[in-house]
Amino acid sequence: MIDTLFSAFVFPGLLYVLVWTVGLFWFFRKFMAALHKRVGPSFNGKAGSYQTLFDLSKLLTKESITPDGVNPYLFSIMPLLAVIIAMLPAAFIPWMDGLVVVDSDYGLLALVILIGIEPFLLFLTGFGSNNKYSFLGGVRILTQSISMETAFFLSALSPALLFGTMNLTQIVEQSSWFSFLILFPGLAMYFVALLGLLEQPPFNIPDAEQEIVYGFYTEYSGTNYFLLKLAEFAEFMAVFAGATALFLGAYKGIFFDSYFFFFMKMLGIAMLMMTIRAATPRITLAQMLSFSWKYMVPLALLNLAWVLFAKSLWFMGA
Amino acid sequence: MENVRKIIENFTCEYVENYKKTWLKAKLSSKDDLLNLSEAIKKEGLRSLSTVSPTDFLEDNIMEMNYFFEDLDTKRNLWLKVDLPRDKEGCKIESLTPLFASANWHEREAFSMFGVQFLNHPDLREIIKSEDFKGVYPFRKDFDWDAHEKNQTQNIQQIVDAFKKEQNENEKDLDPDSSETILNWGPTHPASGPIRLRVHCDGEEVISIDPDIGYVWRALEHLVTKKDFVGAIVAVERLCFMDNINSMVGYCMAVEEIAEVEITPFASWMRVLLGEVARVSSHFMGLGGFFNNMGLHTLGMWNMDTREFFLDFLESYSGARIATASIEPGGVRYGLDMSMFDELQKALDKFDNSVGEVEAVFVKNPTMKLRSDNVGILTKEEVHEFGLSGIVARASGVKTDIRIDEPYAAYGELDLEYITQEKGSAKDRFMMLFLDLKQSVEIIKKAKAHIEKAVADAKMNPTKDHMVKVPKKLPKGEAISRVEWARGEVLMHLVTEEKAKTPYRLKMRAPSFNHTMMLNHLLKGQTLADIPLIFGSLYICQGDLDR
Repeated sequence: MIDTLFSAFVFPGLLYVLVWTVGLFWFFRKFMAALHKRVGPSFNGKAGSYQTLFDLSKLLTKESITPDGVNPYLFSIMPLLAVIIAMLPAAFIPWMDGLVVVDSDYGLLALVILIGIEPFLLFLTGFGSNNKYSFLGGVRILTQSISMETAFFLSALSPALLFGTMNLTQIVEQSSWFSFLILFPGLAMYFVALLGLLEQPPFNIPDAEQEIVYGFYTEYSGTNYFLLKLAEFAEFMAVFAGATALFLGAYKGIFFDSYFFFFMKMLGIAMLMMTIRAATPRITLAQMLSFSWKYMVPLALLNLAWVLFAKSLWFMGA
Repeated sequence: MENVRKIIENFTCEYVENYKKTWLKAKLSSKDDLLNLSEAIKKEGLRSLSTVSPTDFLEDNIMEMNYFFEDLDTKRNLWLKVDLPRDKEGCKIESLTPLFASANWHEREAFSMFGVQFLNHPDLREIIKSEDFKGVYPFRKDFDWDAHEKNQTQNIQQIVDAFKKEQNENEKDLDPDSSETILNWGPTHPASGPIRLRVHCDGEEVISIDPDIGYVWRALEHLVTKKDFVGAIVAVERLCFMDNINSMVGYCMAVEEIAEVEITPFASWMRVLLGEVARVSSHFMGLGGFFNNMGLHTLGMWNMDTREFFLDFLESYSGARIATASIEPGGVRYGLDMSMFDELQKALDKFDNSVGEVEAVFVKNPTMKLRSDNVGILTKEEVHEFGLSGIVARASGVKTDIRIDEPYAAYGELDLEYITQEKGSAKDRFMMLFLDLKQSVEIIKKAKAHIEKAVADAKMNPTKDHMVKVPKKLPKGEAISRVEWARGEVLMHLVTEEKAKTPYRLKMRAPSFNHTMMLNHLLKGQTLADIPLIFGSLYICQGDLDR
């Protein structure tokens, strides 16, 4: 009972996600500021570290405006659902040796499905906003997730094929430097698809500020907006943690195994994502579609063939 | 030029005379000849109509129309005048829009401000001015501004009513079962600035665009007539804050021409130097804006960093970073303390140190090329037809640069070359901005070296030579001046009365007006994602769009 509550509210549940959101938000700001030759937040706390906390608590206390002519239930329940769905994958991730909340044989499947539902919820937020820009953003996110998820899932499956299990704990246990090399093409593709799924540049098409204002976010304010942002950052965590567990050996470290390595690996992915963000303009929807279906999906299929080949060569009977 | 003169002399004119090196000035006796004459000179090669500028002479009961025709290739220009009666019934003239596409908005502006009716104009709606001026013509000399301002509540009500009417009727003509919709892209859209584009689109595809401008209309052309000749510079520089110097240079040149004053070499070199610093600071914003429109803010931030150093120099010279008010009829406003050049040297060093990384990361950016290489293409023909100028024209390979075509200030002593691109796509306009920026920095270096040398040789006195006296009262006259502004060609048409203390009429032809006219043409059939990109690449400033 205590364990369950601890998992739900402290680690890897609500508190963990909150701390992660506040921390990562601040880190993004500072990291981006350095790339922009700016200072970033600097007044509140050491190196502006309280700034994000203040911003988020301010959002919580602001009025949440529901626009005229929308279904208020659909409008307000979607952000809540989005947060919950985005936080659930954390339960399946092996954060430390022996620390996984739900140790399921279908962990990978659960991870993939929970990540896959999220864009559809965001589409509904846009659909329920009764705003042309939100609607366009919603349609865009649906288009993008359908085309990017195919490659994402196919590349996420490659470790399962290699190790012959969908249990994330077992995948982590069996991973090694050698399997990392074999799975590297899979990792690269997972990362590119991740950019598309998380709407990061160059695939930040659904909330393209200069084109459709703020996409599905446009009508959201106050608490609802806070929840959507929280969902976005929880989604970051789910996808980063997925990459770390599937390809990078999760908590496995150089001299000792620890959560510290898990965290550093996630941070590394975040930094790579940020650097791309600082140097790459947005592409168009049509370009994203052709990139995804002409290159990503065939390559992801080829990658599966490569993994099967490698498995028959080095992993059979092992 | 002789051919043009011959053509004009076929019609009855009051006079035909040479004006400056590249201009011919003529006045038609009858407005009925206008259409035929324009057709003939268009065949001769003067294919662009720069602007249409009516001048309202209340006492003579005359509305004098001024047409400025240009040939961007051979640099032959024609200033054509014709008189119209002032009264509302008689104030009618044939529209030139069917012949010169660029006349479209300029005629709409003349119609809105002066009530000149253009016959056979395809789309004669009012433009720029707000709804409370509907049906009245604010730039006519007998318009009572004070009386208009007294009805403030009523005026605001009129604007509100018009807004509500528009809101209700916005999508009236659309099929409710289709996916067509009208998007209001602005005036509070993140990438629009104070302009509204009515984007008629079908899902992601743009069907047509109708720009609605005038959100920052300050009636600058009227405002200058309330100020003296020196005070007018603060209205003129507000054409656009990013490059304020060159617009003042244009105005001051026109005043000096009427006053018949020659400025000192030091002042003309300072005008070059300050003008290029302003151009650089404008181009920095333009380059950053281009990438901002594709969702990448890094270049904008990097450019801001370097731009601050150039603004430091402007501040040390004039005390202000943006609205410097530092060019005055008769020269430049302040003397120069040579230590101010240290600030400039810092800026130049900063630029030299940072231009390499900008080039590596952004100018050669593959994703940028993927996005912009094949959109927003303007052909040479279109540049002529729509009277485009500045970097937009040069990106399409048209060799036009007022600094070379009609050298002013000290540009004649500089050895400048046309920088052009070939294709005229959005990417080429970005490249053009970058190359123009580099050229400007080179000019700054040359001008700085020239001034330093001349001061060292005691040929210039930086604290005394900056001004020559311009009389407070000017004779009756008129002049035009053209400058290469950061965004293109600015043409100033200044009219003065006898013993005038204030300008009687100042027409500012601003390049963004022509460039905004192109939006529908360029964006028809493109997608929503191309709107900010192409809009940004045209380097439009709403300040000079509305004036």
